Amino acid sequence: MSRAGLPGVSTAMDRETELALVERLRRGDADAFDDVHSAFNTRLFTFLVRLSRRRDVAEDLLEETWLRLVTRASRLRADTRLGPWLFTVARNLHISYHRSRVLEDSASASLWALWPFSQVRSSPFEATAASELERRIERALAAMPAASREVLLLVGVAGLEPADAADVCGVTPEALRQRLHRAREALSRLLDEQDAAAEAPAPRGRTSCATR
Amino acid sequence: MRDPLIRQLSELPLVEPDRARTAHVRLRCHARLTRTRLGESVAGAPAAPDRTSQFWPPLLATLGVVYFTEVIVQALRVYGAP
Repeated sequence: MSRAGLPGVSTAMDRETELALVERLRRGDADAFDDVHSAFNTRLFTFLVRLSRRRDVAEDLLEETWLRLVTRASRLRADTRLGPWLFTVARNLHISYHRSRVLEDSASASLWALWPFSQVRSSPFEATAASELERRIERALAAMPAASREVLLLVGVAGLEPADAADVCGVTPEALRQRLHRAREALSRLLDEQDAAAEAPAPRGRTSCATR
Repeated sequence: MRDPLIRQLSELPLVEPDRARTAHVRLRCHARLTRTRLGESVAGAPAAPDRTSQFWPPLLATLGVVYFTEVIVQALRVYGAP
């Protein structure tokens, strides 16, 4: 699905509309839920699927995110900002999922493994990338630790303002800026490594395939 | 914050979830919204007046008055009226 002209999460709806929707949600208005769902569903899924790198997991987490919204709808604060709220829930659900997976896998059951660093895995989007650049970026994103990937997804892909992304991640804006800077540098480095690997001459006399 | 790399990220395509599942989630959320709304309307309704609970306070107040009246009468009998 093309992104041409689509606004970021922070500007998906004007504040007045958002406040009205929150008020209607608090009263249990199903039409208000549909409006919010339409505005954020695809963006949330895009975030979750690139964060988890699994469609089935992203579908489950997305469903749980919406269920959390409707369960807590009546208790929403009147000034709730729906975008950051939804992404916060989605992110936290992913963290819980990742930790539960790590704990189930006895080979990875260590304190270090509790931090959501992910093992290198290919991106499910490489094969469908529309361009070589897109493919490289998808591959680099998939290779990054989840903590770095999430901040790039929130600010770059979902279009949250850095202050909102900081709220989602539960850090100060300054900490988010530093994290974003480091993540951006890491992504750039990975892209450069891909370039270097692509330009490296093939070793003579070897027929085995290099695996990463 | 529009450095070239961030801008390239913003141009990555959105990913659509499964449509059938999306419809199912929507229905499930509607059902839960309705349940929550009905549950709160029942919880918030004023309770029917409990006649038993309305009986005890006046009875206790009457017994208290009778008791203290008797205490005063006995005290006057023992110590004499001033």
